[in-house]
Amino acid sequence: MRSRGRLLLLQAAAPIVAVFAGGVIASAIILAIHENPLSVFGLMATFNMQAGSVASILTSATPLIFAGVATAIGFQVNVFNIGIEGQYYIGAFAASLAAFGLRGFPAPIHLVLIITAAMLGGLLWVWLPAFLRRRRGAHEVITTIMMNYIAFNVVLYLLGLVRDRNLGSTVRIRTPLFPPSAQMPHLAPLLNALGAPIPGYSPLNWFLVIALALAIVVWFWLRRSRFGYEARATALNPLAAEAAGIVVGRVQFVMFLVSGAVAGCVGLSDLLGRAGYFDIDFPKGLGFLGISVALLARNDPLGVIPAALLFGYLNRGAEGIQAFTNVPREVITILEALIIMAIVVAYEIMTRYVRVLRKQEVA
Amino acid sequence: MPLLASAIRLTVPILLAALGGVFSERGGVVNIALEGMMITGTFFGALGAYQHGPLAGALYATLGGAGLALIHAVVTVTFGVDQIIAGVALNLLAAGVTRFLTIQIFGVATQSPGVSGFVPFNIPGLDRVQALAPLVTGISPLVPVTLLLVLLGQWVLRRTAFGLRLRAVGENPRASETLGINVYRMRYTGVLLSGALAGLAGAYLVLEQAHSYLEGMTQGLGFIALAAVIFGNWWPAGALGAAVLFGFFEAVSLRVVASTIPYQVIQSLPYVVTILVLAGFVRRATPPAADGIPYRRGGEE
Repeated sequence: MRSRGRLLLLQAAAPIVAVFAGGVIASAIILAIHENPLSVFGLMATFNMQAGSVASILTSATPLIFAGVATAIGFQVNVFNIGIEGQYYIGAFAASLAAFGLRGFPAPIHLVLIITAAMLGGLLWVWLPAFLRRRRGAHEVITTIMMNYIAFNVVLYLLGLVRDRNLGSTVRIRTPLFPPSAQMPHLAPLLNALGAPIPGYSPLNWFLVIALALAIVVWFWLRRSRFGYEARATALNPLAAEAAGIVVGRVQFVMFLVSGAVAGCVGLSDLLGRAGYFDIDFPKGLGFLGISVALLARNDPLGVIPAALLFGYLNRGAEGIQAFTNVPREVITILEALIIMAIVVAYEIMTRYVRVLRKQEVA
Repeated sequence: MPLLASAIRLTVPILLAALGGVFSERGGVVNIALEGMMITGTFFGALGAYQHGPLAGALYATLGGAGLALIHAVVTVTFGVDQIIAGVALNLLAAGVTRFLTIQIFGVATQSPGVSGFVPFNIPGLDRVQALAPLVTGISPLVPVTLLLVLLGQWVLRRTAFGLRLRAVGENPRASETLGINVYRMRYTGVLLSGALAGLAGAYLVLEQAHSYLEGMTQGLGFIALAAVIFGNWWPAGALGAAVLFGFFEAVSLRVVASTIPYQVIQSLPYVVTILVLAGFVRRATPPAADGIPYRRGGEE
């Protein structure tokens, strides 16, 4: 099987080619505004080497790992869950309710309760599209997009009900502050003890460790369990899987729900590691970045980790570019979108090329 | 009357983008980047209007939307990439590119200088009736233009050879190709039309509502337009009905701040209705059979 070796080689090369292609186009844009792309990217590289930047990269990669894993779980079995966005919003809001509503628990128990609430929130929001897909054949892309917008409205309304009334009317609307037991401990003290010079102000917290563990657990689950086997069979060839006795619809339904439950956790690192309350400015868009991360990782839960780190790297680099050059940070947003375009085109061409190779081998 | 007038104003952008969505999906290409194309339209609409007046604004916006649509067509039709994924990437790209260009051209990231729109007109005769005043005076010329475009679109899709071919390609591309229809060309045309119309929708927001470009001014209208495509059962006339309904919801939601129903509930209605339609609770949704499925030309891998 000569084609197999080539396939592996191409699979490894495709993301690199895509990043490179995106970089070339971004360079052209930088050139067009009369700046030097090499010095811009060089500055980004040195800026990102600083300890503060490393901490920032890891912090911004944390939610992207959750979002990427959530997306990948669905995409693996051809469930296009575009609703990560709404699911994490509802999840974060449910988590906030548990965070300021429950008091008197020791921190570990309180945190477990909050994470459970977040997952239930995500589950609640994914259940309807999953159910409608399974029972009524409603296409999940559209239903999940619609659920995103419903989520924003629902959260806005509920936030008005539970908002902190002690703030008066001048301050922006937010929930009451969370008690200390709802704060996820930061990683800086531990990393400093280990000799890593992470600055003390960094909000980098244990959710990074949880995210990494999650990616590994999901990878094992899909590789080693019976259900994971069924899921991979579904991914490779739904018709053959069905013929082999796998209930494809059920596998997709379960994966859809798991995807939503994981999505519920996307906002937790920001919520419990940084803010300590939920307000109307809670970050949006992490769900869509998660889709990009999953695509770059080819829906592999382990691959999500480097992909999320790359996006964290680019996001931090954007801040450096904005601060120290005359190039606006949006160049990096454009670069990210270009990388995604390039990667999907590269994978498509690659798959087709391998198919041609296989045909030639057979002939 | 003011409510009705405001509903009409809010209907136009949804309707234009939805009309675009109909053309794209009738040809078999799902376009969830309507939002991104509309965003491109808002920027280029402001740019054109700022430099050469409202007509140029509309033209620039149309071309800007079509430009983004061209990328969608190349990636999804020529390369056969998944249409949803391409759409997600395009929405990110549109947001980045418009912000970048706004900084480069207008100096600030989030808005353009003020621009003037088209000269509004009154309906002669009726404009003397005081009670009808909000409805028959100060009408944007883009309102009748939009209505004409919808009627034209309905006729084109139903009656003309082009419309029949486009629909054939969206239903069964393989069969269409054996009949000598150039599937790729039809799909390119559908996608480009959708971009042009979504861009024009963006221009409407700039020229006739805000009188400048503001970041985030589309506020998800592109996705409401997507909903209108579905609720309108993939026909321009249906999209008209859906857009009027959704525009009315929007208009009501802006006015019930003081009432007992939270405005968020009314704002969610278009999305709820669309889910119900997709689930078959309202009536059957019948998308074009090959909608969303990449097509490879005969003999091509």
